[in-house]
Amino acid sequence: MAARVLGWLAALALVAGLVAAFGYAPREAVQGNVQRIMYLHVPAVLTAYLAFGLVFLGSLGYLLTRRPGWDRLALAAAEPGVLFTGITIASGSIWGKPTWGTWWTWDARLTSTAVLFLVYVGYLLLRGMVDEPDRRARAAAVVGILGAANIPIVHFSVKWWRALHQPATILGPESSPIATPIALALFTNWIAFTLLFAYLLAKRMQIARLEDMHAG
Amino acid sequence: MPDNWSYVFSAYGLAAVVLLGYWRRLAGRAKSLAARGARRAA
Amino acid sequence: MRRAWIVVWKDVLSERRSKESLNALVFFSILLLFVFQFALGPERARVEAALPGLLWLGFILSGLLAFGRTFLVERENDCWEGLVLTPGDKSAIYVGKLAGNVLLMAVVEAVLLVLFAVFFGLDFTGVLPGLSLVLALGTLGLASVGTLFGAITAQMRARELLLPVLLLPAVVPILLGSVSATQTVLLGQPLAEAAAWLKLLAAADVVYLVVGLLTFEFVLEG
Repeated sequence: MAARVLGWLAALALVAGLVAAFGYAPREAVQGNVQRIMYLHVPAVLTAYLAFGLVFLGSLGYLLTRRPGWDRLALAAAEPGVLFTGITIASGSIWGKPTWGTWWTWDARLTSTAVLFLVYVGYLLLRGMVDEPDRRARAAAVVGILGAANIPIVHFSVKWWRALHQPATILGPESSPIATPIALALFTNWIAFTLLFAYLLAKRMQIARLEDMHAG
Repeated sequence: MPDNWSYVFSAYGLAAVVLLGYWRRLAGRAKSLAARGARRAA
Repeated sequence: MRRAWIVVWKDVLSERRSKESLNALVFFSILLLFVFQFALGPERARVEAALPGLLWLGFILSGLLAFGRTFLVERENDCWEGLVLTPGDKSAIYVGKLAGNVLLMAVVEAVLLVLFAVFFGLDFTGVLPGLSLVLALGTLGLASVGTLFGAITAQMRARELLLPVLLLPAVVPILLGSVSATQTVLLGQPLAEAAAWLKLLAAADVVYLVVGLLTFEFVLEG
């Protein structure tokens, strides 16, 4: 099964990622070792965006073709997507506490990610509340399409909103040029998370297909 | 700056718990569905 | 587009006769005013400082109620199939319902502005043109998503829960943009200061409208 292979690849890559994050990457000069959370936080948010891109694709695919496989793609991408978004927010918050002194700041990326989280939790709630498969797929698809189209708009509106209230930028991984070991560690973990997401996606789609077969 | 390893581990730990938990849920559902399929075929 | 006009006209006429939505929404706005005042305390300065946000809070909360009722008439009178079976381009229905919601919101907003002026001794006459533009852009955005999601949740048991849950995250940019632009206008600053926000609102409006127009027929299939 392709999923099985993906699973083992993901596991290997995750181990490699951990080694890179804790063994290979250096202790950051300014922030200390707490900066290593970034090797979790950044790949998580990138994976979340991949997930929601697939939700958009699946939504579009279903509305255009009415093939249930597309709807299963949307669902199977949304579930881990929400999880990775949650991990992004939590890791960002945990990183923020020793760095900025508070658990939460309304900084642009954290806030945008939180809004993203709310949109897709709503998406899953909607799916949970409609029983009939075609109606559920159509309703979810419309919400999914609007949600995805909204992502850049949310990003800019939050960014400008923050610029109004706090012009000073705070320490972040993007603020200084990235050294090669750090970039490499980020890259490794990004690959690992993407593989993990692909595995979870494949498994979830499998389950959805089996459930549809049993229901029909 | 102090190293704050507890924060690092709690962040990674949280991620691990969430992802492992989801994976186990998926594996469980896959198993029960497979069992149902076997029963039906039999 | 004549069909869209027919939809609006039908809704406006039936609303004019029964006035149920309008009366209740206006009364709701009055209640909100009191709630805001009680929540923010007797100090006038606090309420004035929060004014742009309060206005839009009021609009959004009223909007939630209004959008939830967009298809109430069709639902309660068993006319939903009528909508579904309409031949041709269903997006005309969307435009008609959207226009109806925009009109409703316009009335609510006008009432709320008058109430705020009266109760808090504020004078909006100087800033009315700029304020109207911000209101128009923001309301269009709210209503385009609200009408679409109102249709999606219309047939659901949990519609009162699901509409806010879906709508509020989706209209975050509208909220941010409208409040910022309103603040600029109310401070007496020239409209050009809010140009970036106005452009964002306009862009958002276009996106939401296009998505609504393109996807409405898929919502209305049964």
